[in-house]
Amino acid sequence: MKDTFHVGPSLAVKFVAGDQLLCAVGPFLHIYNVTKNRLIHKVRIFKRNKVHGIAVSEDKLAIYGGKSVSLVSWEQLTGANDVSNLEHLSPEWIVSTEFDVTGQNVFLLTCYNMVLVVDFASGDVLQRNSLPNERSILYSGSIKVLDRDHVLVNAGTVMGGIIVWDLHTGTQLWNLLGHEGSIFYVTVSDNGKYVASCSDDRSIRLWDTFTGKELSLAWGHTARIWNLKFFDNDTKLISVSEDCTCRIWSVEHTAEGIELIAADTFEVHLTKNVWGVDVNEEKMIAATSGNDGRIKLIDLKQTTRMADEMEQFDIKAIEIHCNVRFAAGEIIKGFHCFEFGIVALTSGGHVLRYTFADKSWVLLFTDQRFLSYSITNGVTVASHNVVIFSNNNCDLLLVKFTDRGKIVDQGKALKVTGLAKTTNVMCTTGDKAEVIYVTVESPNPRDNFVILAIDSSTLEVIDRFNYGKPDSFVSSCVTVLDHYILVGSRFSTVAIFDLFNCAKNGVYRIDDLNIGDTTTSIEHVETKQCRHLFSVTNRDGYYSFLAIKFDNGISHEVIHSNKTVKGFLERAFYNDEGDYVTYGFKSRLFYMYNESKCYEIMHHMCGGAHRQWGLYPVGVKEYILVYIKASQLHVLRIHKPRVPEFLTAGLHGREIRDLSICPRARATNENEYLFVTGSEDTSIKLNTVDKLTGEVTTFWTERRHISGLQRTRFISDDLLISCSALEELFLWRVDDTFARGPYIHMLQSLPVATLNPDLRIMDFDVKFTASGSFILATVYSDSSIKMWHYDNESNNFNVCVETRYKTCCILNTRLIQFRDHLFLLITATDGHAVIYRVEQDNDDALPNGLAPVVSQRIHQSGVKAVDVKVTESTLTLYTGGDDNGVCVSVFQSVPAPAAGGFPGFELSRSEFAHSIASATVTSCQLFDKGSKLLTTSIDQIVRVWDASDDELPLKLIESQYTTIADTGCCDVVQGDSIVLIGGVGLSTWNM
Amino acid sequence: MGKSSKDKRDLYYRKAKELGYRARSAFKLLQLNEEFHFLDDLERVVDLCAAPGSWSQVLSRKMFDEAEGDVQGKKIVAVDLQPMSPIDNVTTFQADITHPKTLSRILELFGNEKADFVCSDGAPDVTGLHDLDEYVQQQLIMSALQLTTCVLKPHGNFVAKIFRGRDIDMLYSQLGYLFKSVVCAKPRSSRGTSLEAFIVCLDYQPPANWSPKLDNNVSVEEFFHDCFVGINKLSLGDDSQLPEWHESVRTVAPFISCGGLDSFDSDATYHLDEGDMAKIEKSLDPVQSPTNPPYKRALELKRSGKLSSCV
Ligand SMILES: C[S@@+](CC[C@H](N)C(=O)[O-])C[C@H]1O[C@@H](n2cnc3c(N)ncnc32)[C@H](O)[C@@H]1O
Repeated sequence: MKDTFHVGPSLAVKFVAGDQLLCAVGPFLHIYNVTKNRLIHKVRIFKRNKVHGIAVSEDKLAIYGGKSVSLVSWEQLTGANDVSNLEHLSPEWIVSTEFDVTGQNVFLLTCYNMVLVVDFASGDVLQRNSLPNERSILYSGSIKVLDRDHVLVNAGTVMGGIIVWDLHTGTQLWNLLGHEGSIFYVTVSDNGKYVASCSDDRSIRLWDTFTGKELSLAWGHTARIWNLKFFDNDTKLISVSEDCTCRIWSVEHTAEGIELIAADTFEVHLTKNVWGVDVNEEKMIAATSGNDGRIKLIDLKQTTRMADEMEQFDIKAIEIHCNVRFAAGEIIKGFHCFEFGIVALTSGGHVLRYTFADKSWVLLFTDQRFLSYSITNGVTVASHNVVIFSNNNCDLLLVKFTDRGKIVDQGKALKVTGLAKTTNVMCTTGDKAEVIYVTVESPNPRDNFVILAIDSSTLEVIDRFNYGKPDSFVSSCVTVLDHYILVGSRFSTVAIFDLFNCAKNGVYRIDDLNIGDTTTSIEHVETKQCRHLFSVTNRDGYYSFLAIKFDNGISHEVIHSNKTVKGFLERAFYNDEGDYVTYGFKSRLFYMYNESKCYEIMHHMCGGAHRQWGLYPVGVKEYILVYIKASQLHVLRIHKPRVPEFLTAGLHGREIRDLSICPRARATNENEYLFVTGSEDTSIKLNTVDKLTGEVTTFWTERRHISGLQRTRFISDDLLISCSALEELFLWRVDDTFARGPYIHMLQSLPVATLNPDLRIMDFDVKFTASGSFILATVYSDSSIKMWHYDNESNNFNVCVETRYKTCCILNTRLIQFRDHLFLLITATDGHAVIYRVEQDNDDALPNGLAPVVSQRIHQSGVKAVDVKVTESTLTLYTGGDDNGVCVSVFQSVPAPAAGGFPGFELSRSEFAHSIASATVTSCQLFDKGSKLLTTSIDQIVRVWDASDDELPLKLIESQYTTIADTGCCDVVQGDSIVLIGGVGLSTWNM
Repeated sequence: MGKSSKDKRDLYYRKAKELGYRARSAFKLLQLNEEFHFLDDLERVVDLCAAPGSWSQVLSRKMFDEAEGDVQGKKIVAVDLQPMSPIDNVTTFQADITHPKTLSRILELFGNEKADFVCSDGAPDVTGLHDLDEYVQQQLIMSALQLTTCVLKPHGNFVAKIFRGRDIDMLYSQLGYLFKSVVCAKPRSSRGTSLEAFIVCLDYQPPANWSPKLDNNVSVEEFFHDCFVGINKLSLGDDSQLPEWHESVRTVAPFISCGGLDSFDSDATYHLDEGDMAKIEKSLDPVQSPTNPPYKRALELKRSGKLSSCV
């Protein structure tokens, strides 16, 4: 067995010269070149312990983690893949290391407030210093070398005190009191003036090193804070927290004295915990690392780096600039932004233009038809920049601009006839760049819904299409593909208008795509085998992917659905890296979010969603956000990132509770398998693993569950089920036919028994019947067992059996076909395995009862994991327990009595292997055609057993330590010798 | 913090309320005792990491309320980082048990007398860093053990909470050096989903060639240095160099599940009717929840909307 890929908590990051970043990844260090966004070296530092921190002095490093420490040169580190032969042990857990001024000696601070002074070259322990009477346990501490004679030791106790002492004199300077609870980090500024600290009370405090006074108390983080660092000449402090944010504070001299003021917040990691932080002060980039295994970079100058990011204009300034007089209270009613600049329309009918090149405003013309009510739309097609102004009187005015912003002709005015009024006008262009499609909507339900086709060079109306307006339809967004116009509406509706068919049946309608209201965008993604894939967003945060077929009449299928983290969703698109990017508003912020990788790309305080705004792509990967706030026009340039947004994406921020690999390799790449992970963080992720490199890529994070995942399993090549507490059980379908990647959609959820479901569904199993329908067994925390029939035609679950085992919690279940009969196995917290015969009227009929066949105690307490081998005449259970043991139980089949009745089972042999592990055995999985058994346990040892015959006891073939803590689940690609191990992180192994 | 309805439906929680215990933990000690009977005939005991105090309550009931003979000279000392409201017949004080001074203070309270039972239900602030959490947990046990070696009479017993994690087997081998029998036990009242279990160490056998010496300037690790030198190989040769990494000695302790299958299953969901729920609500003696968490102020600020994920 060999582990090939690992993602798990990263506890520390450290910038070193040459734009390199050292990242602690379990017992390894990964070295990245930050500017090139490249992993340049991986090296094992310790045998078992995780790397917790790194101190650097020129070409020397002191790396520590737990009781382990390694003093290595840069050459040793980069010259090998494994330097764990240099691992040494400290007598106590190390909380911090630092070099002295000469770089010759290393200080190791232990959790019992002792400093070992170690000679770097020889490894000799030169001194052991401690502070008399202060030897209680510390969660945190740091050493600050001010100069040769002044070295401060800062010790954070568990009772709120921070003891600052002088290393050389061995005397206490201060016991800084104020915090409550354990101190989780303490650090001293480079100039030695300030101590900054944080504790379980979630506050950050700034102290005066010379007087011991508390200077400032700052609140902001909503959970515990794990790390702090001064930067920018000690004028700023950066903090990272359990709340997944990284915050910037400025150290300001105010009338009140010296204060810590909140300056910025970045949401950087997934629930929960950001552990490591460092700042490259020259480049002003921060790096953070978290429990999710992600290495995130933050441009600390994202909105000021180029100095052209923000422009704002109030109406007075524009007035002066344009040399016109606006009426009192005249405001900007609408605008559109092109590469060259912005075209805006005021409530006084003034059409204005701002050009970026010369930063000038001019009045283009005034049109009295567009007073008070007006809508401004714009579109760029094949170097035609067209603005369409409209009012509620069915007037349209089309104006065309050159690439440099000059008006071509004087514009085209037209009146849309036959409508009482117009409430909405929208425009779009398709692949046929020469045509602009304009939709015109009247509030009168009896009026037609009109689509105009306009020649983009002449601005002449080529064609007009009239449709009966669909019921309760309020258009909100539009796109075109071939001769189909797709229009989004309120009530989560999409209507497709066939331009070749204006009759009533020319409109195809998709209702209630999700429980949100207004559809905010529809975008064509790709077309494969006549299936056209569209991404659809909804303001209430939902998004879906629709596969639409246009041949033989229009038909559609939802192949993906999800909800964004929070806030309003305005649009989404695929970026150049193939990541799905969403944007919208949350509270007073505008945000852009990378949905595939789950991180915020940017946010901007614009005041919230209820305002005039638009986001416009310009140049390569750049955007301009234009919005009006406090009657000022704001123009924010969102430059393409100057630094990579992350170095490695990471996975779940909390324990992976279950994982399951799709039984079939991907059609698009036979070296890859899809797999799903379900986590304590309540999400399930759809990922791929490469069987050659072991590398894992995540495509989607589904947020449908609201409680921590219990189980998730592929039940066929394209169906999977997930279950969790609150009686949540969802059936999902995976579609992996498109080039962009796989999609996942929830088909159905299991009906719940009560209004306030609070049972945990602990496990499930299925048995397919004919034609894609199946029988589902579910087991619950209140000892109940249910069997259901899922009918794939009607997409419905119907319960057929409800019974109860005892009162204890059931942990596992399996449906077992044995010869002609179906059996149900359960295991529970009382250490028992029970086999029931599933009663059916005949072989094809639905189950109608469960008859216990055999009940056997096989473990002392909870039977945590089970796998089953069926042979001609026996059933063998392989079980792992909370009692640290693995048990093999062979049940012999007992034929039906001659007098009538049913066949059953009886225990023929069993062997309990005690104390196999030193902690709970959490998973059992047979592989290699049932000849081998893989077990995982909390002691972080993965074991492979010989299960080729039923000979007992089991023979251990191999065992190996895994760095995945809380090891809880595994799955094997049958026949392809790849194993995935999950817990706090994920490992790929090769057998 | 209010208890969620899930907590209310927890049968141990409910039973704790009915019997006047401050925490459901009481049943863990009781169920361990059902198996090992270490609570019979106790004279002097130490309850470490005792807040809110349900173990102390159990001890007080067993040693005083249910005592048949003379209770003169009996003593219970309970210590925690958190303040504890008074319990009959229990001397409580607030301190950090990893601080050697705390141990000196407990010794003072016992005068020259030895205790016959020491228990510790200590659990640190869990950070989410599994290795650190496990280490700190083990340090709490080692601090408890440090006191135990100073105060426990030969053949006395020691019980402590453990997390069954990666390095638990190292602890077993150290305990096995000091006690005749070491068992890892999990009462049914401890949730199967948690790593929690208890180490039950019976029959203290102080090593002949080592005598414990409490010193305020010595950390727990240093205290045991000479004691475990044989099994730990902590120092190879002398102290002038840091030893190279080596695998520690590991022993697996036998596992026993206790509390009987007829006792409540702490992982199960029980169905209670409205009447049951109402009875719980009304029950007079409330189960104590953490009264003053360090983050109380932060919670107040969060509730009033002063802390948020944006600037
Ligand atoms: C699970 S509670 C104990 C419950 C108690 N046995 C009862 O039945 O009420 C764990 C306790 O350990 C305490 N603790 C943790 N670290 C400690 C330390 N270093 N010194 C003293 N107490 C500590 C905590 O304050 C907490 O009250």
